[in-house]
Amino acid sequence: MNINNSIDLSQMLSIVLPLIIIQLILMVIALVLCAKAEQTRGPKWMWILIILFGNMFGSIAFFIFGRRNEG
Amino acid sequence: MTALIQVKGLTKSFGTVQAVTGIDFTIEEGHCVALLGPNGAGKTTTIRMITGLLKQTSGQMIFHGAEADGNQRQLIGYLPQSPAFYNWMTGLEYVIYAGRLCGMTAVDAKKKAKELMERVGLSHAAKRKIGGYSGGMKQRLGLAQALVHSPKLLVMDEPVSALDPLGRREVLGLLRELKQETTVLFSTHVLHDAEELCDDVIIIRDGGIALQGAISSIREEHRKPIIELQLEEDDQSQRWLSSYIAQMQAAMQRNAESSLIMEAVLNDNIARFTVKEIEAARQSLLEDLTRERVKVRRLEVGYTSLEDLFMKVVTA
Amino acid sequence: MSVSAAHNGNVEKRSFNRTSEIGRFAAMVEKELLELLRSFKLLWVPLVFILLGIMQPVSSYFMPIILEQAGNLPEGVIANMPKPQGAEVLAQTLQQFGTLGVLVLALVCMGVVSGERNSGAASLILVKPISLYSYIGSKWTAMLVLTWGSLAAGYLAAWYYTGLLIGSVPFKDIVSSLLIYGLWLTLLVTLTVFFSTMLKSPAGAAFSSIGCIAVFSLLAGIFPKQLGWSPGALSGFAYQAVSASIMKGDYFGWAIVSALAIIAGALAAAVWLLRRSSSVE
Repeated sequence: MNINNSIDLSQMLSIVLPLIIIQLILMVIALVLCAKAEQTRGPKWMWILIILFGNMFGSIAFFIFGRRNEG
Repeated sequence: MTALIQVKGLTKSFGTVQAVTGIDFTIEEGHCVALLGPNGAGKTTTIRMITGLLKQTSGQMIFHGAEADGNQRQLIGYLPQSPAFYNWMTGLEYVIYAGRLCGMTAVDAKKKAKELMERVGLSHAAKRKIGGYSGGMKQRLGLAQALVHSPKLLVMDEPVSALDPLGRREVLGLLRELKQETTVLFSTHVLHDAEELCDDVIIIRDGGIALQGAISSIREEHRKPIIELQLEEDDQSQRWLSSYIAQMQAAMQRNAESSLIMEAVLNDNIARFTVKEIEAARQSLLEDLTRERVKVRRLEVGYTSLEDLFMKVVTA
Repeated sequence: MSVSAAHNGNVEKRSFNRTSEIGRFAAMVEKELLELLRSFKLLWVPLVFILLGIMQPVSSYFMPIILEQAGNLPEGVIANMPKPQGAEVLAQTLQQFGTLGVLVLALVCMGVVSGERNSGAASLILVKPISLYSYIGSKWTAMLVLTWGSLAAGYLAAWYYTGLLIGSVPFKDIVSSLLIYGLWLTLLVTLTVFFSTMLKSPAGAAFSSIGCIAVFSLLAGIFPKQLGWSPGALSGFAYQAVSASIMKGDYFGWAIVSALAIIAGALAAAVWLLRRSSSVE
């Protein structure tokens, strides 16, 4: 059988869409926190670039290392 | 008057350094006591031992007649020098949390916390994040959280020294009210704060007690008459003054008992004589001044202040 | 600061009912969870696990197409490639959790005790009449809620997607492998709490706990016969549990017991360290 034929674009999209949505949610939370943070470790614009272009890892890196004065 | 806490031979050493060397004191219930001393004298170490944050190397602390075993924490409210809170909490939430940690139910803690926030003048900021509080606000929040479980003893480490004049006045005002209601022990390196608030003072120096007692009786006992003399700044007068002081010091060394003057110090062209008997000393000095035709600018007779005593005790 | 308030604020009378140690412990757990919520950890950590969980079945599903697009393979190879079993994909998901998931959890927990001690916030809490067991225990409990919640969310998402795209796996296999893997991650988080109490540096705590976990599983992998009873074998048992070809020997029970023993020991040691350095009680 041929897997290739059994997949069309819309089906593919419906499978991948949740992945994209979750990534977007992470990114949005990270961006909002970054914008609201009084102090970030390193310049803010750098973190925004990391979050925007670093995929999931950019956001995670910001969550863990980006903020100061959490406690 | 009953003793709230008795401290006997309290000692703390860090490695080979002895930070506190066997101090004894008693705090009476209802009194306000200042632990006074220069920086590095062992004030913070002593306070941390009393609160149980630091274990003493040796010595005893007896609360209400029972040896301290960690349960003293229920009796004590503690405010460190620069308290650190959780910046993500609001002020009110923090005080409620402090109350619940002391065993209050959530409802009781909330009621008491609101009361205290009002009392320390933070009700307008009660629902703001602590991260945005100023130094003075944090100190007042620290007071509120220390008082939440109605402690028998309020212990504070340098409560006002990190504050600006305004914050300082606010906190001192609060403390003046609080000492009517509870026993207070606080450390400070500023004599003035101790004098303003306290009944008793414990002056410590190099980890040991240099002097302790009620402020009024210390003031009475150690009060000595002094004469301050300032001359015109021409060479002749100045020369006379230094030779006179040298002469007095020599006389003191020869015969300390019969000398009129107990101490002579020259500082910024002002001579200070600590004397035994004010009348005789004044008479003698005036006679000398007239005979030698010295140009006097100022001559003042007074008494040593607590400040003088404090400086003498901590620098001796 | 009115005078009447001064009289209402009775510092003398004890007008409140005392709650037990349990009540204080509950208050502390509540605070820890609130902190996780306000720092958004309770949101983003599960999301990351869900993402990791979904990625594995999705990439397995699309792998043949991706390979074909690359186009270098001769005709017929892809058609003849064995399709992965659902259980296999789930075992791979667990391996993802074992690398990236472990890293994230260790980094999230690394400052749980040292952060408060470094800032001085701990000294205000530790002068309160609380037990140090409650202090460490509350932090541990909150971290476990985060860990188990994230793991369950991610693993269930992986299970759902695997069932959809690749092939269904019985739910009871999921539950048993989830429980075993949860214990493995619990061990990691407990060690992080312990190192966070011992070391001032959060990075040091994360590094040490990840190091311990790596050494455990490395040793159990190299000496499966001699060290099959050690906690390092747990992740292997979890893969087996879902692959259904389980060979739960006598060792399985011992691996669980040894993991629980290390967890209990690490917690007790954390309390001991905290007591020695702060001397409360």
